[in-house]
Amino acid sequence: MSALLRVFTVVAKELLDTFRDRRTMLLTLVTAATAGPLFLALILNMAANQAEKARALKLPVSGPEYAPALIAFLERQQVTIQTPPADYEARIRAGDVDIVLEIDPKFEADVAAGKAGTVRLVYDHSRDRARAAIDQAESVLRAYSRQWGTQRLVLRGIVPEVARPLNVENVDLATPQQSGSLILFLVAYYGLFASVMGGMASALDATAGERERGSLEPLLATPLSPLQLMLGKWLAVTVFDVLVVLLTLSGFYLTLNFAPLPAIGIPFLFGPIELGRFVLILAPLNALLPAILLYVGLRGRSLREAQANISVLLFIVSMLPVLQLFLQQKEPAWILWVPISGQYTLLSRALRGDAIAAIDWVQSAAAPLALTVLALLAAARLVSRESVLASR
Amino acid sequence: MIVVDAVVKSFGKHREIKAVDGASFHADDGRITGLLGPNGAGKTTLLRMLATLIPPDAGQAMVDGLDVAADRYAVRRQIGVLSDARGLYGRLTARENVHYYGRLHGVSGAALKARAEGLLARLGMAELADRRTQGFSQGERMKVAIARALVHDPATVLLDEPTNGLDIMSTRGLRELLRGLRAGGKCILVWTGVMQEVAALCDSIVILGHGRVVAQGSGRDMLSWSGQATLEDAFVTLLGSGEGLAA
Repeated sequence: MSALLRVFTVVAKELLDTFRDRRTMLLTLVTAATAGPLFLALILNMAANQAEKARALKLPVSGPEYAPALIAFLERQQVTIQTPPADYEARIRAGDVDIVLEIDPKFEADVAAGKAGTVRLVYDHSRDRARAAIDQAESVLRAYSRQWGTQRLVLRGIVPEVARPLNVENVDLATPQQSGSLILFLVAYYGLFASVMGGMASALDATAGERERGSLEPLLATPLSPLQLMLGKWLAVTVFDVLVVLLTLSGFYLTLNFAPLPAIGIPFLFGPIELGRFVLILAPLNALLPAILLYVGLRGRSLREAQANISVLLFIVSMLPVLQLFLQQKEPAWILWVPISGQYTLLSRALRGDAIAAIDWVQSAAAPLALTVLALLAAARLVSRESVLASR
Repeated sequence: MIVVDAVVKSFGKHREIKAVDGASFHADDGRITGLLGPNGAGKTTLLRMLATLIPPDAGQAMVDGLDVAADRYAVRRQIGVLSDARGLYGRLTARENVHYYGRLHGVSGAALKARAEGLLARLGMAELADRRTQGFSQGERMKVAIARALVHDPATVLLDEPTNGLDIMSTRGLRELLRGLRAGGKCILVWTGVMQEVAALCDSIVILGHGRVVAQGSGRDMLSWSGQATLEDAFVTLLGSGEGLAA
């Protein structure tokens, strides 16, 4: 009983200490609450701009006089034909212009000679912003080519299907919730990130800070055992971490549900149910990350040293979801067992509106919870080592 | 009552640095015992062993019949420690710092309040009690650290250089406090490098050199053994220039 009391004495002191550090605390909490909304507004505005662009393709054409029939077709397809600037190649490279259609001066001559007429699409593939315009221009040109070919075949008395034996129909099964995967990624990613950032300052102060200050040694001469000490610190950091995650997610929730966002149709649902699922999915990390932060912090002789060590952890946490995003294939089933990757997978599922079975959650929580216990035991062992005292 | 018997402690990869090398002495209840020694004599290591922070490699150290290595937690309940590392929590007030340690020692409620107020008042810290300690002077910090070490009314008190940074009035106040504890039958062990402190306060003196106890006795004993007129000269003579004399 007195052991439990001591643990709670540590929790109370650490929380008081954390909340007294007004500047750090406010900065953490305000960042948590506002970053999500700000960032969403930015992303959604960008998406709205892109949608706008996609709806009405403006295509600068160089040499429109060489292929008047093509230009007429494009105009019938609601494409606005523009005159490109003289230095358009440089402007495309600089990102001022997305795409230009060049029509070969020999177009009519080639066509008359029975050869294929040449047009060139000039663009910079590396610019995401231009992607929509490129796709649209390509598809409208392909449509023109197909129509022209069909007319020729009909003129020769051939059924067009002879030259087009395969009929491809696109059936897109993505629900409105499943599209917009980038925004989806960012929301899940931000939820993950909040779990690391939330506990960082207080975990470091409670470990490396305690060593640097010279307050660890007298503390260890009290009846407090190393495990009780670490448990108390861990509970305090976890409480703060959960608070930061709740604030972050609430920021997203409020923005997505009540803010006047650009009308592009939010590609997923983030209602109270999703909010609750997010909190549950992230809970194992709210236990694990503070434990790891405490352990790593304890290894640092000073705050500075600990911060350097923590950056490695930050790197891992931020890389795993990015790797998953670029891994184009479907995730293997075992990914749920991997800490962070498992949580990210479940967060994406929750956003897509997929069902999450209890067993999925258990799988994703198993390793983080086991590692939490290990990290706490390791930290308690570390704190009772002589080298922790002989540090300054 | 502290009994240190042939205690050895070494550090380094191959245990090549002998910090304490067979030290033996005792400190009785109701007495103030002063531990004197030049830098590197093993004073900090000895304190850490008595405070149960590190176990001896060999030999035995007992506090009230409890072994500092085997009965670590029982010993910790008996002792109040002011070690060389005396960091406070800067964002907590003086009173909160003291209360934290009181609670960790199982003191709470009205008893904790009374005990903390009493100590802070006797150390002249009553007016500063509700201020955060981050702006405190060295002396003010020291006083909070002393109050923190004594808040649970320990039977055995270990103090490392407790007058460091204290002004004359505060030093006198601390001496009064320690004499009060002595009158209450506590066992008080003071690490110090200040000769005046030893002369003014200590009933018994232990001189430490190169990890060994060179001499233990009263101030008068030291003078007669060394044949010197002042404690300072006695200290230098007893330590010798080389390995020092074994007691």
